[in-house]
Formats: sequence, C-alpha cells, structure tokens
Amino acid sequence: MGLEAPYLTGYLSEHFADAAYATLDGYVARGGYEAARKALRELSPTQVVDEVKASGLQGRGGAGFPTGQKWSFMPAGSDKPKYLVCNADESEPGSFKDRILMERGPHLLLEGILIGAFATGAEKTFIYVRGEYAESARRVQRAIDEATARGFFGKDILGTGFRHDLVLMRGAGSYICGEETGLLESLEGKKGQPRKKPPFPAQYGAFGMPTTVNNVETFCHVPHILRRGAAWFKAIGTDKSPGNTIFGVSGHVNRPGLYELPLGTKLDTIVFEHAGGVPGGRKVKGVIPGGMSMPILPAGMLDVPMANEFLRERKTMLGTGGIMVMDDSTCMVRVACVISYFFRDESCGQCTQCREGTGWMHKVLNRIERGAGNPDDVDLLLDVAGKMEGATICAFSDAAAWPIQGLLRHFREDFDAHVKTGRCPFPESFAL
Amino acid sequence: MARITIDDQSYEVKDGRTILQALDDLGLLMNGVDVPHYCWHPKLSIDGSCRLCQVEIEGFPKLQIACNTPVKDGMVIRTQNERVKDAREGVMELLLVNHPLDCPICDQAGECKLQDYAYEYGATHARTREPRRPAKKKVELGPTIVFDQERCILCRRCVRFCREVPGTGELMVQGRGDHSVIETAPDEPLANDYSMNVADICPVGALTTKDFRFKIRVWFLEDAPGVCTGCANGCNVHLGVANNRVYRYVPRRNDAVNETWMCDEGRLSYKQIGGEDRLREPQLRGADGRLVAASFDAALEEAATRIRRAVDASGPAVVVSLASPHATNEDLFTLRRLLEVLGTSSAAGVAVRSGRSDALLIKAEKAANAAGARALGFSEPGPVLDRIRGGGARVLIALGHDVLDPIFGANEALFESLDTLILLDTHHSALERVAHIVLPARVAAEKLGTLTNHAGRVQRVEPAVEPAHLALAEGETLLRLARALGLALFEGPWDPRSVSRAIGAAVPAFAGIDVDSVGAEGLPLRSAGA
Repeated sequence: MGLEAPYLTGYLSEHFADAAYATLDGYVARGGYEAARKALRELSPTQVVDEVKASGLQGRGGAGFPTGQKWSFMPAGSDKPKYLVCNADESEPGSFKDRILMERGPHLLLEGILIGAFATGAEKTFIYVRGEYAESARRVQRAIDEATARGFFGKDILGTGFRHDLVLMRGAGSYICGEETGLLESLEGKKGQPRKKPPFPAQYGAFGMPTTVNNVETFCHVPHILRRGAAWFKAIGTDKSPGNTIFGVSGHVNRPGLYELPLGTKLDTIVFEHAGGVPGGRKVKGVIPGGMSMPILPAGMLDVPMANEFLRERKTMLGTGGIMVMDDSTCMVRVACVISYFFRDESCGQCTQCREGTGWMHKVLNRIERGAGNPDDVDLLLDVAGKMEGATICAFSDAAAWPIQGLLRHFREDFDAHVKTGRCPFPESFAL
Repeated sequence: MARITIDDQSYEVKDGRTILQALDDLGLLMNGVDVPHYCWHPKLSIDGSCRLCQVEIEGFPKLQIACNTPVKDGMVIRTQNERVKDAREGVMELLLVNHPLDCPICDQAGECKLQDYAYEYGATHARTREPRRPAKKKVELGPTIVFDQERCILCRRCVRFCREVPGTGELMVQGRGDHSVIETAPDEPLANDYSMNVADICPVGALTTKDFRFKIRVWFLEDAPGVCTGCANGCNVHLGVANNRVYRYVPRRNDAVNETWMCDEGRLSYKQIGGEDRLREPQLRGADGRLVAASFDAALEEAATRIRRAVDASGPAVVVSLASPHATNEDLFTLRRLLEVLGTSSAAGVAVRSGRSDALLIKAEKAANAAGARALGFSEPGPVLDRIRGGGARVLIALGHDVLDPIFGANEALFESLDTLILLDTHHSALERVAHIVLPARVAAEKLGTLTNHAGRVQRVEPAVEPAHLALAEGETLLRLARALGLALFEGPWDPRSVSRAIGAAVPAFAGIDVDSVGAEGLPLRSAGA
C-alpha cells in the first residue's frame, strides 16, 4: 500500500511511513506500551473503563457504539473465562483503514487490546483477520510473537500478575463474518451466520463465554486516550463524535487513499481538498460517505460534517468512513445493480426478508437496467426495501436496503429515465 | 412467575420462557392466540430466522420476534394489530418470491402452513415478474425422504431436528442467501431411526415421505387418535384414515411419552393393520388335519366342548394360557376372569418379543401392552411352557404368537403334544399349524380399550377402522367362549368401557383409570411397579 501521500498525519498514523514503527523496538522507542504499563500498574480496570467512557470514544467498526459502555457490559464477577475479539474482518466495500493499521501499526493495535483486556478482565483475545488480508495477518502475527516474547502478553504481564494471550485467526472470505456474532460463529469453526439476540455476546459470546468484540481502529485509539487523557481526546472532533478517524477515499477522485482527520471534517473538504476532487473536469454526482451499506449523498449535500449526528440528518451514517465518490458519468441504476448483487451474494440466508429481499431487488434492478422496467418498479423496490429494514437477526438486511433507498431517494430520475426510454441513458458509465 | 398481557388478556407465565414458549405452555398458541411461525418448534432449539412471529411489545420501538423474546413481568404484547399484520404480510410475500406455487400437485396441500398463512396473510396477487430460483424438484435425501428444493422456505427445522433429536446431524444448509439449499454430505444420506419426523415438522411441501407421498389427498383423511403398537413406548399417533383404511401414522404430541416424535419403524407399522397376512376368518381343524373355515359360533362351541372335556377329565389345572402383550388391558382382564372362573388362574404367562432399543423412544419390548399384562398378573411364560413340556397341560388358550420368539425356546412343535390349542390372533403365524381352533382378533386400531406402556402409562385406543373381515376383540371372543362354557364373566354383551371400569375396581393399580378417565394423553398406573 503506497504511503507516499502525506495524508496520514494524525495521532494514529503519524509514524506509519516509518517501517520501524511496526517493530516492537521501534514502537517502544516512540512511547509504545507506556499506556498499557500505566493502565496495568497504576489503574484499576474500572478506572480504565471510566477513562474510555469519559473520552466518548465510539466504535469505528460501523455502528458507532460507545466503547467504554460496551466494555462495562462484561460481567464483573464471572466464573467463566472472558474473551475479547478484535474484529479485523474489514469487509465493507470502500473501507480499507484497518488494513493499514494492522500493517503499519500492529503494536498500537496490540497495546489497545492489552488495555481493553485489562479493563474487561479478559484472559484471551481472538484477532479475526479478513482472509484476503494475508499480509496484515502475517504482520500482526509477527507483532504478537515479538510482544509475547518480550512479556507484553502471556503470564504475569509487566510483573503485574495479569495474564493475557492472543490468538490470530484468518477468515475465509465472507462479508457477514464482519458482523460480530457471524464472526463468533466463524471463529468457532461454524458457518458464518449471525446469532439471534438475546443472548448478547457479553453474556454468551465466543465459545459460549462472555465476550466483547471491538474493531481494529477502535482498539488503536485506546493507548492514545490512556496516554494523553480523555480530555485531550474529547477536544478532537465534534462534541458528540470525538477523535480522529481514518477515512478511505475511493472512486472518481484525483488522490484516492487514506486520510486521518478529525470526525466532523466536512465531506466536501475531504473530497475536494484532501482527495483533490474529481478528475477529467467532471462533476461529482454522488458520494457514499461510510462504506457501501450507507445511503449515498448527492452533490448538493456534501457540505456535511462527517459525524453521525450530522449525517443522520441527511439520512445516512458514518459507517466505516469509506468514502466512495462517483462522477456525473455514473449510472445510478448500475450502482444499485452492483450493490444489490453484492448483498444478494453475501446474505447468509437465514432471515426471510434478507434472503428473499436481496435477490428480488437485484432481479428488479437488473431488469430496469436492461430497459425492461415497469412504471411501478421503483415503488416496488421502495416497498421491498422497507420490508427488509429493521426486522431481521442482524443489520445486514438494513445494510442491503439502505443504499438502494438512498439511490432511489436522490436519483429517482435515473431510474425513471431507464423505465421511460427502455434503455440506459448513461453510455459513458462503468460497465456491469 | 411473570404476569404478562397479550391482546388485553392477562396471563401468569413461567419466568425464563419466551413469548411463544409461554403461549405454548398456556396451550394458547394457534389455539386462541394466533402467532404464525415457521422456524420455531416447541421441541427444537430457537432459530429466530423466519421472522413471521413478530409481535408488538410496549416499550420496544421495533416489532420483536415472539419466539426469542423472553417474557418479563408487566410485558404488554399485541399480536393482532395492523402493524403486526403488515409485518406478517411482508414476510409471507417474500417467502413466496421463489416459491413454485405448485399446490395442485403438492402432497402437502391441505396441511401446508405456507398455504394456511398465505390464505390468511398473503396478497391476492403476485408482484414478482422475475423468474423463480431454479432448483431441483426431487432429491432423495435418504431411503425415506424426498426433498423438493423449490418449495423449501429454509426454516431449518429439519436441520435442527437431525442435530438435536437423533443427534445424527445429516442435514445442513449448503450455500447462502437465496441460493441456500438443504443438503446431506456426500455418501452420508439422511438415514437415522427417526428420519421421517422431518416430513412432519416441515411446514411446507419440501420434505415428504416416500411411504405416504401421492397416496391420497390429506383432506380425505380423518385423523383418529391412537397409539403406536410397535414397542412398549406407546408413542401417541394420529391414524390417517380414509375408506376404512389406515394410510399413515403421524406422531401426536404427548410430552409425557413421545413429545412430538416417533421412530420410523413404528411409523410404518400401520401397514400391519391392513396387512395381507391378517387372519380373516375363524377356522377349525377338521378330521383330515386341515384347518377349514367356520363360523365364530361353531368355533367357540368346539372350543368350549374341548375345554369342558379336558376339565371334566383332569380338572381345571390342565387349562393353561398365554396372554398377548398386544391385546388391551380389557382383553387381558377378561382372560384373567375367564381363567379365574375356570379355576386355573395361576397357569398363565405372557411372552414378549424383544429387540433393539435406544435412549430416545425405541424400547426393547416389541409390544404395546407388556406392562399392562404384567400389571394384570401375567408373568413370564416359562412356567406355562414347562407345564406343556411336562405334560401337565392339555389345553392352551394362546393370545398371539409371540411365544414363538427364539428366546423362549419353544417352536410350534412343542404345542403338538397338546390336546387342544385355541389360538386368538391377529396375523398368520406358524402357531396355526398346530392350532385346533383359530379365532381372528382385532388389532388396537380396531377396538376400544387401554394399553399400558413401559413406564406404566395407561393410554386409550379407539376404533379407527373396522376390520374388513370377521374379527373380534380378544375380550369379546373370550366372553363369548365363557358363555359357551356356561360361565358368567360380566353382565350383558361385550362392552370394553364397563370392563375397563371393572379393572379399576378389581386391580388397585388401575383404580380410577379407565378408557374415559385416561383422556387423550393417558394416566400413570397408581403404583408403577404393580
């Protein structure tokens, strides 16, 4: 992954250009594991949870759930072993931030995990790495070996008596294994399909034990919060969405890549200033702000701060911060076809609405794109998407419905034009 | 306990139950409170995937699935409002997106939950213009079950059944999304002792049994409650009856006996009811040594004459008997009375064939009423056989032919030494070769009475069919034999209901237990060891 671009300048990524930062010595030389040392030696688990709670850190895996609160769900006096799981299955199309965190800052991740483990009383962390991320897995494993050999993991960590082990496991290439309970099933060697809730992972997680699942980036913020304090963290970003995040910008922009920026940075600033705008003198048609499952925003709505409290007003969400830019050559029906194909293919097939709805939408969208659409098809799509929303075991069905709803909300004229003319009016658009 | 409100009615329910479980506990599910469901089954783990059982709960912004939502004290649930109805309609429409709608040629038609719920919650027209998912129409999952992939709604009851009940786990979901399909692993067919239950729990026409498929439209069948007589477990069944013929057994729920299951062997044992090898007429051995057809009256007269002659010559002790572990308690009690009145009550035993058993339902004793026979005083057949061997017995009244089982060391040649063998039986056997008088008997599906299962549970059988030939319940035959002997056992003609009550009066273990009081699910004997 090219790091030539000077966009990784925040606290998470400032050392990523430096290959030594991925080694234990290089990491320790830059203050690495000091936060963990402080937490384990000077703080109680409750104090660590309170500090993370006070920082306002929200999960960076897509749902944005407050991390400290999640940690506090772990039962305190459990007689069962407790586990952490690091969700490194980054599989949201448009998202590629966790990969660089694992490859360039593996010890930052491990230090975050160690602090989380101490805070929750977990005895083991399973790091579930997306199957395609072979290099990430290799680098994280190397970091695990190094840190374990040096006493940061294993028995009696830093002389405190605290014990914690790391187990890296690679996925086998299914999107749904990024959903936390689908991940747990896969981790246990079963078919990756989300579990019904209740019970929730904090009661019945990996191998039936109390478990907390956090995203890679989420863990990476934690050492910085412990080192510099909750107040420092809270001062970055917006009131409700503190801290930096790493945005992944892809699609029709001059400088696609990763950008570490405070939450609340405006979407148009990221697209036009940081990523250099659209090439070839074209205009932006629409931007997906948070990975493929988040509803698109049209060109006129890009002056929005990238934080959930603002994005929700525009009926979309931050998701995983994967920003996908489309220029005015783009056929939004084709975009819908691609998105619906993905979700149809990746649906685990448990819940009726998701299994049947994703396939039905995909077939209807393809028919529209082929020029065989009917005047009532758009209403049909909206109706089917509505039935898929909020009624299933996991959020996949919502994630399949929302982007189609967003495309229909902002680009209905594209769909109507296909139906009316019986052909695709965007000859220059990408091919299916 | 928790107090919950469902559709403005207040109920007290057990803690720790989900809403559907609580409704099932109350006996209200689909029986007063309609919460349609596919994947949930009272005897399987909760799946939560069909999403049809959504209900509205106060305090929850979204509808919740009733199958997996635990009850809480004070919970207020609505199952019938517009919002819930809309959600059900939405699920039904999506379930039919890929369904072939081939009801006219589907064997499940008439007992199909897809039909039933589509009728109630379905749209009147299809909005799909797209071709349906291509799938295979006839997949043999194993020796007993045929699978129609097109009709499957992926509720996965069958998958969970195989994993959780027989524990064999042959079935799995292959693939994902709308290309998911139920599959077996290569060379690992669906072949466990309980495989046919998957057809019962399949809510649609996807899984059918090779045995019943295309035999008859189910709406021509009447479901008669009964008990499987294949072994001592006494699984409760519905006999599917039409044209005076039993077409199938399906398990009838009885949580104290068989939950909702039965074994394949027992399920197929219905075939014995209308079997080709049924005894069809009374027979008498003629002067030439061959059995010839006779009337019941002539056969009974001959039997009485022979018994009287033996008793007159050598006393009643030369009359011995073997009770049938397949006959009802009423039949066996009548035999008991007959022997008592004759004065030979100690010379009687019961031979019970034994076979394979498991930890689930299949019991080693291959008879439905062995425990009843023992409770009524019939013990091991050894002493009776010894009496025959030693020449101390001249007349044997044999009910059934289980005594020919090799474990008793008695083949039919043993009985050649007898002056008289009176055989009351349902089916042909080698015992006929040495019988002097053969009297056809009714099977459990042809008579009213009770059977006592291995655990001492007394359960009712009722006449579901009439025998197509001349056959009487053993009790009636014995009563008529007694009359021919000039002996009085009971007042009036054969009445299993009053005999049943007489058992309760005479045998303490049966006190208060009769064909009526046992109800649909049976009652345990007063003391199981009796």
